[in-house]
Amino acid sequence: MVITKRRYPMNRTFLTNASIAALLMVAGCAEQNSSKVEITLPNKNPFPSTYTIPKNTPFAIVNANVLTGDGLELTNTDIVISQGKISAMGNDLEIKAETHSIDVKGKWITPGLIDVHSHMGVYPAPSTSNHSDGNEMTSPVTAEVWAEHSVWPEDPQFEKALAGGVTTVQILPGSGNLIGGRGVTLKNIPSITVQGMKFPGAPYSLKMACGENPKRVYGSRNTLPSTRMGNMAGYRKAWIQATEYKKSWDEYISDSAERSLSNTPTRNLRLETLAGVLEGDIRIHNHCYKVDEMAQMIDMSKEFGYEIAAFHHAVEGYKAASMLAEEGICGVMWADWWGFKQEAYDMVRENIALVDYAKACAVIHSDDPIQIQRLNQEIAKAMSAGNRMGLDISPAKAIRWGTYNAAKSLGLEDQIGSLAVGKNADIVLWTEHPLSVYSHANKVWIDGDLRFDRENKSIQPTSDFNLGIIKAGAVRP
Amino acid sequence: MKKILFIFTLAFITTSVNANSLLIKNVDVYKSNGMEPNTNVLIKNGEIVAIGKRIYETADRDIDGTGKSLTPGLFNSHTHIGAVEVSAIGPTVDYYSDNDSVTAALKIAEAFNPNSTLIPHNRTHGLSHALMIPESSTHLFSGQVALVQLGLNPRVIHDSLAMAADFTEHGFDLSGNSRAAALVELRQALDDAKDFSRNKKAALAGDHRNYELSYADLAALESVVNGSKPLLVHTNRASDIRNILKLAKEFQLNLILSSVMEGWMVADEIAAAGVPVIIDPINNLPSSYETLGARLDNAKLLSDAGVKLLFTNTSRSTSHNAYLVRQAAGNAVANGLDKIVAIAAMTSNPAQLFDAPVSGDIAVGEIADLVLWGGDPLELTSEAELVMINGEIVPMESRSLQLRDRYFKRLQP
Repeated sequence: MVITKRRYPMNRTFLTNASIAALLMVAGCAEQNSSKVEITLPNKNPFPSTYTIPKNTPFAIVNANVLTGDGLELTNTDIVISQGKISAMGNDLEIKAETHSIDVKGKWITPGLIDVHSHMGVYPAPSTSNHSDGNEMTSPVTAEVWAEHSVWPEDPQFEKALAGGVTTVQILPGSGNLIGGRGVTLKNIPSITVQGMKFPGAPYSLKMACGENPKRVYGSRNTLPSTRMGNMAGYRKAWIQATEYKKSWDEYISDSAERSLSNTPTRNLRLETLAGVLEGDIRIHNHCYKVDEMAQMIDMSKEFGYEIAAFHHAVEGYKAASMLAEEGICGVMWADWWGFKQEAYDMVRENIALVDYAKACAVIHSDDPIQIQRLNQEIAKAMSAGNRMGLDISPAKAIRWGTYNAAKSLGLEDQIGSLAVGKNADIVLWTEHPLSVYSHANKVWIDGDLRFDRENKSIQPTSDFNLGIIKAGAVRP
Repeated sequence: MKKILFIFTLAFITTSVNANSLLIKNVDVYKSNGMEPNTNVLIKNGEIVAIGKRIYETADRDIDGTGKSLTPGLFNSHTHIGAVEVSAIGPTVDYYSDNDSVTAALKIAEAFNPNSTLIPHNRTHGLSHALMIPESSTHLFSGQVALVQLGLNPRVIHDSLAMAADFTEHGFDLSGNSRAAALVELRQALDDAKDFSRNKKAALAGDHRNYELSYADLAALESVVNGSKPLLVHTNRASDIRNILKLAKEFQLNLILSSVMEGWMVADEIAAAGVPVIIDPINNLPSSYETLGARLDNAKLLSDAGVKLLFTNTSRSTSHNAYLVRQAAGNAVANGLDKIVAIAAMTSNPAQLFDAPVSGDIAVGEIADLVLWGGDPLELTSEAELVMINGEIVPMESRSLQLRDRYFKRLQP
């Protein structure tokens, strides 16, 4: 089965996946000859983003040193930002007199950092049971739950990540389940609703989990899965159901002659999400530490005809590097965490560097509200480990792990993850070299809007939660 | 036969060290009182014998230290190194006990595993010593703190440096879920320890009143109540820190505070009491209601008030990546702390406070316990290029490096 994968479902308010849209056109032609029941398909986007790019007058950042985010280092560069996008970029640009210019005098800029594995909002601070909303561990397959419905937008962790230069985050459900639910990609901006943070048009993801966690959670309850073979059986059972479900809808859509109100398939939220994966709409982000399990997940994806976007926490990514390169799957990794579980025992600090060396898509992630505040340092450590073994990785190449490659794993590399004309103006200005331990994000723009300014208290947003805890007007780093 | 072999081995090691004098040239040397740029350091028999611009002696081995830096070997003041292998595998985890009849008497040193894979991994990145701190699982007192050295023959240096107690929300939970009750329990235990100390003979003969804690636990607390052994208390909220300071004064305890995420709010009081603190300077989140005041410049504010700092690093890396205490120090500097003060918080301060066999300093006459870094000592892009622990060069070998080399080979065409 060939899946045509679309990066951006363009028309989410109606019928958003390619195959249904195509089938509808056929159905539309057929309808000229018959007057059967009009087709109504489930709304694929019932919680649409309400985010809009704030109106800003064009401005320019001049005399910057740039890590472009997709592998280049540029010196003395000017960037013009207009309507949230980079409209011009180059050396000695002619900037209109009326355009406000910020002369950064050789300071470094990078694209906004992207964390593709965060639980901010679903496991907020303070970490209390009332807000512990990241793991629906009541059944091993909960594809029907959506992380966005758990996100608490006032989580004070978001603003800390922003101060670290993180502009886009993928919020995922936890890994207690085989299939944990949908993830959501957010812009890291203050909002009273999650819809206000949702990245418009970003594909949904589905969180799956290999290995120890699901079998521990359900094994302790004496239900499947209690073993790794139970894990595999659990996923496959779900994909078989999803295949059947998809078929029933496909038949309903295509077979206009037989269609009637009475044979409209019954909606099943769980299977609807899984069918979305089979149709190439929803991207698999798979918690999977070990190479042997990655290989099995890949075989299973071929058995059922879907693709895997990324393996997260790929502590054994270096063992799987060639496989990841061949299959076009991103390895999402930490710089150095290990030893908390057996499946995280075979850590090498050169993991990210080696996955990159094998020409696979290497991505850094935090999975942690402390580490997300300094992804640049995590990148520095991973680069340094690679260089120590002689891999000769430049900062321009290394930064890709938290920019372009991260965007690619989310299916958003056309919009974010690098600095180039036409891309979103998600930009971080650093106080020192971005990979220095002494560096801070000095200014952070999202879609050309200044969202954080280390030098200006009034552009350091704080959540409702902090009012009365942090004194009015005080800054708490 | 065994004995002969042992003597031979010892002689061999000594000879090999004796034969190797080492001259590190043009290196920035971070001493406890400041940085000496571009100087030379001569090491003989594992001892620093000369530091200076002009050293005319030759050595068996020269290292060009241009653009590099030298610091004392790193200490991490809150780890479980040697008492954990894989955190999720219970039988490898010995830094807490669910046995509620063992509290203060627990010595984490007795669980130390010198063959742990964590040790080579950490020492190749510059960690030479670590504190092993037991954690509370059933009682406010978690047991006795140890100092371990991570050299060629990893060993326990002190098996009972301090008594650890938990006065955080976790501890309160063990004490009936009220910080007020926890304080009563602490006070009662200290009073009992005093009473036991005065009436030991009668108590052991069964001729005295009963105690809540076992005799073994009370015996372990004796040195705490007589002031000879520090009480190391984990606590976070400003008001809790105040209560512990008050308690320490009342019982005339030798106190060390740990965690103190809201320490900056009561920094002057901590300084006035002369109490050192073990902190992770990176921790800036209101992860619980007792840490709502957490901030990234806690280390700076405490230091400004005159508090002596000892560093550790973030919870998920406490033992497996204890060497990342250096990243914690770097971030403290990025947030305003003086660089020399930050380095002291992971070298000379713990070495002195915990009476280590090395000074945590680089000075003539001291044992060479030091790290040569590829650049600035706190930059994450500076790798440890040479590590000497207690006068011996440690091999750059670990399980992790072996895995790396095995799989790098397989990636070659």
